[in-house]
Amino acid sequence: MKYVIIGGSAAGVTAAETLRKYDKKAEITMVSDETFALYSRCLLTYLISGAIDEEGLCFKNKDFYKANNIKTYLGKKAVAIDAKNKTLTLEDKTAIKYDKLLIATGASPKKLSAPGIDKKGVLTVRRIDDAREIISMMDKVKQIAVLGGGLIGLRDAYALRKRDKEVTVIVKSPQVLSQMVDKEAADIIQAVLEKNGIKVKTGVAAKEILGADSVSGILLDNGEKLQCQMVIIGKGVNPNSEIASACGLKVEDAIVVDEFLRTSDENIFAAGDVAQTHDIARQVKRVNALWPCAVEQGEAAALNMSGKSKAYDGSLSMNSVDFFGLGCISMGITKPKEAGYEIISKVNPGVYYKKLVLKGNMVTGMVFLGDIKAAGIISILIKSRIDISSIKHLLLEDNFDYAKVMPLVADNQEKFSAEEYKDLMISF
Amino acid sequence: MSKDLLNKKKSKEVKIFCDITKCVGCKSCEIACAVEHSQSKDIYSVVKESSRPKKRVKAQSIGKRVVSLHCQHCEDAPCVKACMSGALSKDPATGATLHDNDKCVGCWMCVMVCPFGAIVQDVENHIAVKCDLCPDREDFACVAACPTGALFVGTKEEFEKKLKEKAKKE
Repeated sequence: MKYVIIGGSAAGVTAAETLRKYDKKAEITMVSDETFALYSRCLLTYLISGAIDEEGLCFKNKDFYKANNIKTYLGKKAVAIDAKNKTLTLEDKTAIKYDKLLIATGASPKKLSAPGIDKKGVLTVRRIDDAREIISMMDKVKQIAVLGGGLIGLRDAYALRKRDKEVTVIVKSPQVLSQMVDKEAADIIQAVLEKNGIKVKTGVAAKEILGADSVSGILLDNGEKLQCQMVIIGKGVNPNSEIASACGLKVEDAIVVDEFLRTSDENIFAAGDVAQTHDIARQVKRVNALWPCAVEQGEAAALNMSGKSKAYDGSLSMNSVDFFGLGCISMGITKPKEAGYEIISKVNPGVYYKKLVLKGNMVTGMVFLGDIKAAGIISILIKSRIDISSIKHLLLEDNFDYAKVMPLVADNQEKFSAEEYKDLMISF
Repeated sequence: MSKDLLNKKKSKEVKIFCDITKCVGCKSCEIACAVEHSQSKDIYSVVKESSRPKKRVKAQSIGKRVVSLHCQHCEDAPCVKACMSGALSKDPATGATLHDNDKCVGCWMCVMVCPFGAIVQDVENHIAVKCDLCPDREDFACVAACPTGALFVGTKEEFEKKLKEKAKKE
């Protein structure tokens, strides 16, 4: 069997590892357009802040490819798929035959259309080269504007503040983290950022990036001008699905896959940030461009590629951030727009804010800020879609823990099939 | 005995079970765990240590009953899948879920997905901590400290057998 994987990040690497685990003889080939292999993109801001070095970026051992007997084409971009002849072509014209192909090409930063965007000093943080460039400019830069107050923008801003830069975050929405948390949590996070020297401007957008060759400032749509020597665009990502659309695969927001991670071509699979999968909380097709989802999908895709029919349960949107010691985790639907949802919340001022979004006695979303220890237990309630009415009064209590959920696990054993749940039930 | 325990520790099939009918919530397991993960490993010296040791096990109540719960070392571990830094991994030989403090960046992705809430935040050092199966000793601190015999080390079958025998006696 010849397996070819495009992409060398979470989904691709997990898929390769899974394929090798079950098939010692298969020919596995990985293609990545980057030469620095096996690094975690999510850690790039930690590299910028100085918390880790380049070595610390790697999420697998250096000998991963060799140990798993994987052939690699690194630093080479895959440019075309010939689905009929089951051949992948690289930019240097190398043709690679496959029996099963996985597209795990990830995503790229969203672009900005403002004038001046191509000036020197306008950067994104997605690849190791981006981070290296930012680090190399650190000595020359004093003020930095970060465009985007979502997860990416704030992580960039946090890292740069750790380097003692004067950072201003420009947020189009009326709140930070508008995709991740509600206004209540956002306000608390924003206050913590501001207290630690990050300026946040909400409800404004960049109109123009000023300067000659290099950035010298930024003009906002409210007429205000900011002085800065660097602009970071942190406004989310778009899936790298061009190669899929070009060969005729069905693509909507990202590559459309079925519950087996199979695209519209039976020999081609997709996983990670480039795949549009079932969203558990929302019960729709959605792209959840997140590390844990990419790993799960990479594994599921590999199992199905190797003929072990294994349906993927779907993904749950979930995020965890920690700014200046304030942790926040959110999952699923955090700000319901339609009717029919019930919201329960609990606040301990200065300590925590916790909120659950319920629908029909099921948990469909959550925001935990300041006290995140029970977040994982809530995640299994969201994923299993079980009736929580009997323990509803306990969910936000300070002493909520797994034991409180055990009666529900006992009543819904079909939803909790992992051995570990059963082991804990033996003497229950 | 010690050799037997060591072999047990290395076996994939052996784990720590809690007999919920026997646990009284005395928290001896919690204290023993914290002490075992301190610098001095001595309960009277721990108090003076600069960094407070973190317990990785918790006695949790279900109504009037109590269960002593720690990392279940899941075979298909959600924390390992969620870990973006490669700090968490599975030991293929023992089945243990391992955590590398040096690789951990304290992103709390593992806290976000642990079904049992068994991963603890070490806020001081900004890293996650969890049950490491007491690498510095032959047995397990929590089990050794359990005064009621609720905590049990063995295979699932052995634990079930023990429960059956107990039921017969009663």
